[in-house]
Amino acid sequence: MKPIFARGISNQFRLTLAIILSVMLLVANDRLEPVRQSISSILSPLQYIANIPGVLLDWSAESLATRNMLAKQNKELLRQQLLMSERLQRFEHLRQENDRLRSLLGSPVHMDAKKVVAEVMEVASDPYRHYVVLNHGARSGVFVGQPVVDAHGVVGQVVEISELTSRVLLISDATHAIPVRVTRNDVRLMVQGTGEIDELELRHVAKSTDLRVGDLLVSSGLGKRFPEGYPVARIISVDNDDGQSYATVTAQPLAALDRIRYLLLLWPDGNAALSSVELGKPDAAAVEVTP
Amino acid sequence: MSMHVPNGRWVVWLSFLVAMLFQIMPLPNIVEAWRPDWILLVMIYWVMALPHRYNILSAWILGVLLDILLGAHLGIRALSMSLVIYVVVLNFQRLRTFPMWQQALVIACLVCLHHLVVFWVEFVVDVASFDVSLFLPAVSSLIIWPWVFWVLRRVRRIYKVR
Repeated sequence: MKPIFARGISNQFRLTLAIILSVMLLVANDRLEPVRQSISSILSPLQYIANIPGVLLDWSAESLATRNMLAKQNKELLRQQLLMSERLQRFEHLRQENDRLRSLLGSPVHMDAKKVVAEVMEVASDPYRHYVVLNHGARSGVFVGQPVVDAHGVVGQVVEISELTSRVLLISDATHAIPVRVTRNDVRLMVQGTGEIDELELRHVAKSTDLRVGDLLVSSGLGKRFPEGYPVARIISVDNDDGQSYATVTAQPLAALDRIRYLLLLWPDGNAALSSVELGKPDAAAVEVTP
Repeated sequence: MSMHVPNGRWVVWLSFLVAMLFQIMPLPNIVEAWRPDWILLVMIYWVMALPHRYNILSAWILGVLLDILLGAHLGIRALSMSLVIYVVVLNFQRLRTFPMWQQALVIACLVCLHHLVVFWVEFVVDVASFDVSLFLPAVSSLIIWPWVFWVLRRVRRIYKVR
């Protein structure tokens, strides 16, 4: 049954062709984004299937939890909720005051962003990059460049979308940088990833800059990509080496980047008015959260 | 089992699909670095078995798909897989006659080559830092190869893939 196979082209030719095609892809990578998006839309069911074992494990861990454990967890959550709502009451008062002051100054009042909770799909990514894959894609309105945060701080931004999934570049990736300011004295800086999951680096910091260990860095909103005011990192070391022209400053991301499970996708200014109307209280914190 | 398909092409592509699933499946952090290169192993097997049918260009296509799945720069794994498969195609007759342990050793070397090329291209187009853990998959591939070989040979015989 073996078909008569004519050895049309030599292996050398095939290899040359493959190499030329690869180099073309490498060079044209950025221009092929639409192609990549459609192919990864086709491949995304594969990611969902690969995610199943992790989901099953989670599910079994949940359904095998004992009554005691659940009761304990419930108690803990109730305690947290109490603390949070107390803080929220104070926050609400401050927010109104802030809005009044801002309107007195004539500067635009901050709008609350639309938010959607997304789950991290446990699929492998390029080992040289810091990516996570989320279970929301173009179909949920996710866009490239969208900021992503978790309960503690900024996580990263969406760099690639398909119909059903999206890929987030973490702030710890060596190609990622985010404009921040120090909460203590409003110094503006850039925080760059190092490729280490728990270390960030502040580049080109003059030695005279007033920075201290423990300073909180929040997003400054200057890049127009991340909304202002989300915590990013905390400075862990400031080193003024005489041999270097700049100070060496490292920071630790506040989001636990190595064990993230649920994230928030933010829509910075779009739909803010809409979602507040939907909730029926135009000036309350307009937060649309779909689980 | 008389699924008599003339050449059983779908079996081969199904095995690629399964290999791809294994390739992106979540693993605990400790063993993550040890993940064998399933796609490369399966590809090497089919090239050894049917070199006139599965060749450098099929490896290239799989490499592109893998790049897309992993979110890497397009063409990195396509390039390295084509190079590795080229080596296999040149030596498939020799490889077939090797005893299993020797075959596994050669394949471990090929996996090293694959990872070196991937590292090198990543280093050129983006930023990547060299780490010795790069070679851990070669060790796990060495261990896993006899089983992959055995399973795929059974599959090939049962479905009469030609």
